[in-house]
Amino acid sequence: MENFLNQMAELLEVDSVNPQDEIISFDAWDSLTSLSIIAMADDEYSVNISAQEILNAKTIIGLYQFIQSKK
Amino acid sequence: MSFNPIALNGKRFLISGAASGLGRATSVLLSKLGAELLLLDINEEGLNSTKELCGDAVVNCISANLQNPVEIKPVIIGAVEKWGKLNGFVHLAGRPYVSPLKSINHNTTTEIFNLNTYAAIELSKVFISKNVFADVPGSIVFISSVYGIVGSAANVGYAMSKAALHGVTKSLSIELAAKNIRVNCVAPGFVKTNMLDNVSGSFNQDYYNTLNNLHPLGLGEADDVANAIAFLLSDMSKWITGTILSVDGGFTAQ
Repeated sequence: MENFLNQMAELLEVDSVNPQDEIISFDAWDSLTSLSIIAMADDEYSVNISAQEILNAKTIIGLYQFIQSKK
Repeated sequence: MSFNPIALNGKRFLISGAASGLGRATSVLLSKLGAELLLLDINEEGLNSTKELCGDAVVNCISANLQNPVEIKPVIIGAVEKWGKLNGFVHLAGRPYVSPLKSINHNTTTEIFNLNTYAAIELSKVFISKNVFADVPGSIVFISSVYGIVGSAANVGYAMSKAALHGVTKSLSIELAAKNIRVNCVAPGFVKTNMLDNVSGSFNQDYYNTLNNLHPLGLGEADDVANAIAFLLSDMSKWITGTILSVDGGFTAQ
């Protein structure tokens, strides 16, 4: 989980993120960041996710749990 | 006998990436034009399906992981000893890699480069050996992409691998001209294949519509690219080498 938080912080261009943070609330959130998360999920967790599934997950923890469920 | 300058009777070609998409469509077309084929892919099940689609043509299948260069030579040498020397090959095997710069991954980028680009060089190296090349006019065709020519966001790893093929094409066309081997490259736009399905799965309908609108003639069919490959393999293109042929419905004309 800690590794995932660090990865998300880097992609969202902040020093740190909290599990309950809403993904779309970050200033850096845009379609390219969405693609970055998709690429990271594939590279790091071998999981294919869509842009819509990221939105559906809503929070950082929600996305983490979704990725874990697809592994 | 009717005049058919694109006929490929009596010629034998290796097709990498033949298990699906453009590789499958190209294999089927070349078999209809009379060529004997050696189909190469990591996906053996897909290869067998392609072979079935080629009907009564002489088609043999070999499996190798092209991301691992040391696998390539022994597999091809063994196949050529069994089924005969080659007149050319097409490197269609490839993978997309959608990733913005901030999520680019070295390992994945290296895999993409090994498959999309370096495998083309390794296949060429094996092809020119006297044990493999049939010692008659030969033809090599690589497949790049519109994204080897123009830029797009979230595509740096893929664009690197495809733009590099243009340099490989031009360099080898000079080096191999003395051996009477032509080297050309087809740069397709987006065609309706499984690869596009996999990529576009990451996007929404708006993106798909945008993609369609980038092609003045609309999205292509796999056969549109296969036709260009057949031309470049045939003697109809015997004075063409070192060229990058855009087959993209006008994508890069804008």
